[in-house]
Amino acid sequence: MKRKLVAVAALAATLLGAAACGSNDDDSPTTSASGPVDGKGKTLKVWLMVDAQSAWKGVVDDASKRFTDATGAQVTVEYQQWANHLTKLDATLAGSDVPDVVELGNTEFPKYVFSSAFAAINPGDYENSGTWLQGLKGACDFEGKTYCVPYYAGARVLIYRTDLFKSAGIAAAPKSYDEFLADADKLQAAKKSDSKFGAVYMPGQYWYSAMSWVKSTGGDIAKQDGDKWVGQLSQPASVQGLQRWVDLAKKYSKADPTKNENDQANIFAQGEAGMFYGNAWELGAAEQIKKDPNDPNSPLVDTKVKGKLAAAPMPEVPSFLGGSNLGVTEKSQNKELAAAWIKAFTDSTSMAGLIKANALPNATALLDKAATDNPAIAPAALAAKSSWFPPNAEKWADVEKGNILQTMLTDVLTGKKSVADGAKWADDQINTTLNES
Amino acid sequence: MSVVESPATRRTGGSTPHRAPGHAHRPRRRGRQSAATPWLLAIPTLILLAGLLGYPLIRMIVLSFQNMRLRELLSGRTPPWVGFDNYTKVLGDSVFWTVVGRTVLFTVVCVIVSVLIGLGIALLMRRVARGVRLLMIVAMMFVWALPQLVAAQIFRWITDSDFGVLNYLIDKLPGVNYQNHSWFVNPWQGWSVITTLVVWAGIPFLAITLNAGLTQVPKELIEAATVDGATPWQVLRNITLPILKPLITIVTTLSVIWDFGLFTQNWALRDGHPEPQFQTLATYSYTQAFGQSRYSLGSAISVITVLLMLGVMAFYIRQMFKIGEVD
Repeated sequence: MKRKLVAVAALAATLLGAAACGSNDDDSPTTSASGPVDGKGKTLKVWLMVDAQSAWKGVVDDASKRFTDATGAQVTVEYQQWANHLTKLDATLAGSDVPDVVELGNTEFPKYVFSSAFAAINPGDYENSGTWLQGLKGACDFEGKTYCVPYYAGARVLIYRTDLFKSAGIAAAPKSYDEFLADADKLQAAKKSDSKFGAVYMPGQYWYSAMSWVKSTGGDIAKQDGDKWVGQLSQPASVQGLQRWVDLAKKYSKADPTKNENDQANIFAQGEAGMFYGNAWELGAAEQIKKDPNDPNSPLVDTKVKGKLAAAPMPEVPSFLGGSNLGVTEKSQNKELAAAWIKAFTDSTSMAGLIKANALPNATALLDKAATDNPAIAPAALAAKSSWFPPNAEKWADVEKGNILQTMLTDVLTGKKSVADGAKWADDQINTTLNES
Repeated sequence: MSVVESPATRRTGGSTPHRAPGHAHRPRRRGRQSAATPWLLAIPTLILLAGLLGYPLIRMIVLSFQNMRLRELLSGRTPPWVGFDNYTKVLGDSVFWTVVGRTVLFTVVCVIVSVLIGLGIALLMRRVARGVRLLMIVAMMFVWALPQLVAAQIFRWITDSDFGVLNYLIDKLPGVNYQNHSWFVNPWQGWSVITTLVVWAGIPFLAITLNAGLTQVPKELIEAATVDGATPWQVLRNITLPILKPLITIVTTLSVIWDFGLFTQNWALRDGHPEPQFQTLATYSYTQAFGQSRYSLGSAISVITVLLMLGVMAFYIRQMFKIGEVD
C-alpha cells in the first residue's frame, strides 16, 4: 500500500509538472547550428550516458571547451545511468526545467521523436552527415525531418581466449559459422574435466545476440505493411535462425537462461568460458575491472583473463548496430546553443577522440579510418559494415521495455515453449504492441 | 488483578492513558472543554495528508478516465477523455487476472507463513533465558533495520547462478550438481526465494510485537490452568491465543496490506525487469505506466488495486475501533 502511494505521488508530481507548462507548436522551425550565437551568461545543460564519463570524458571536456570559446556559454554535463534513465527523462521533460541536449540509445529515439520531445535539426550543419550510419540516423527521421544527430555506434564481435584456442589446437579465429562451431567443440573437448566450463558464454535474455542469429538466416523481427507492423519471427527463415541460436546456447553455454548480457564481461573474466559475443569495448572490460566500480577515477585491476583475449567479427552473423544519438529538446530555451554544442561534440575532432576510446564513429566515411587508427576496434568497424537495427517503429521501445523477446528466449531455452511456439507468441505480442493506437 | 485485559489495549490504544488496575480513569470523563482542540491539533497532519495523498489520489482517478501517453505528458495537453475504456481493457485482460491471482496467492502464503513463524519465535522468546532473548531481539532489530532494497540485492547475490553462495553450498552436498543452477527459471523456485526474503524480513516486526503481547498474558492464569492439569497445547489454545487475538488480527491485517503491495523484492531480484511470471499488481501497474508510458492504464490498475485493498483496510480500521471500545 505504501509503495502504491509512493508511485501515485510520483505520478502526480509528474503530472503537476506537466500541467505547469504550455503546449508546443507542432510546426516548430528547424534549429540551426551554423549561425553565430552569443551565449554569454548562459549555461547549457547536457545529459550524456555514463559511458561518456567512464570512457571518453576527455572528448566531452574538449568539445565543451571549444564550444565555450566559440559562444561564451558554459556547459554542465550530467551523466545518467542506463537503468531507468527513461523514467527520469519522462518526469524531467514533463516539467519546464529541462536539459538542452539529451543522449538516448538509438532504439529509444523513435518513441520520443514521435511524441515531439525533440526539435528538428538541419543535418547539413553537421560534419559527415552525408554518411551517417543508417542504423543510427534511421531513428532520427520522422515525416521528412531529422530530429537527432548520430553520436557513436557499437558493433558486436566474437571475443575469445587466445590461450585456450592455442591449447585446443586452434590456430586462428573462425572464418565461417561451421568453423566457429567446430572450434567450440574443440574447446569443450579440451576442458572436458571442468564441469563449470562452457565453450561459449551466451546468457538467455541476450536478445541482441539472438536476433543477430535470426538475421543471419535471412529472418527479421517485424516488417511494415502499409501503416501496420507485422511480426516476422514465426516466418521459416526467422525460426531457422532462432533455432540455430538456441542450439548453440543449449550445447555450449553454461550461462543463466534468465540473465541478460549486462554483466557478461565480468562473468567471462572468471575464466569459465572460451568465447563470448560482445561489444568491442567489452574485451577491455573483461581484462580489467575498476577496483571501485562506483568511482570513475578508480585504478584498474587485472582479471584472470588479462592479456589472453582477442576479437574477431562473428562469422556469417550480421551485428546489431547499437549506439546513441543526441537530440535538442523541444522545450529547451537555448536550442541554437544546444545544436552548436552537438556540432562540436560530433565533429571529426571529437570522433577521432571516440575512436581512440574504442567507440565506433557515427559515419561510414570514418569507419575505415577507425580500423586503421585503432586496431582494437578494427573487428567492430568491420562488423558495423554488415549490421542491422531493430524496426524503426514508434512503439519499438515498448517492445524492449515489455521484455517480449527476453521472455520468449528464456521460455524457449528452458523448454517451456518450442521455438515455433515461442516465435508465434512473440509475434502476437509484437503486433499488439507496435500497432497499439 | 482479577480482570483479564487485552494486551493489545495497552499497546495499541495509544490515546487511552492506562492507569494501574483499580483506578479506571476513562478519558471521556475529562469533559469537553473544547471540541475544536483535537481538530486544531490534527490540522498540520490533515493538510499534509491532503497534499501528499489526497491530491495524488484524485489525480490518479481522473487520469484513469483519460488516455495519457508520452506525447500528452511532454506537451502538457489535456489527454482525451475515454470514459471507462481503461477499466474495460484492464478487466477484460486475462494477463491482469493472472497477476491478481498471483498477488493474492503470494499474499496468503506469505502472511500465513510469516505470522506462524513470528508467533513461534515470540513464544520461544518467552521460554529462553534473558540473555538469549536480548540476543534474539538485537538480531531481529538488525534484520528489521535493513532497507528492503538492500536485503533484496543481497538475496539476489546469494541466489546468483554464476557467483551465488547458495548454489555453491548446495553443490557441496554429495551427489548434487547445482553449478550454474538458475533459481528463476521455474516460477515456483523463484517465488520461494522471494517468499523467503519477504518472510525473513517480516518476522522481526511480528515476533517482537507478539512477544510484547505475550508479556501481558497473566502468569497466574497459566499457572492455574497448569495446576488444573491443562497441557501446554491447551494453555496455548484456550488462554494465550484468545488473549493475543486482537493483536494477532492487527499484525495479520498489516501483513496482508504490506505483502499485497509487493514491489521492491521481486523488482530487485529480477533486476528491474521482472518476467511475466514474476509480476505482481504493483510492478505490473508500474511497468504499464512508467515502462510503457501507458500512464492512464497504469492508473486504472492502481485504482482497481486500491479498491481491492479497501476491503482489507476497512477490516483493519474496524478492528482498531473495536479494540478501542474494549477498554
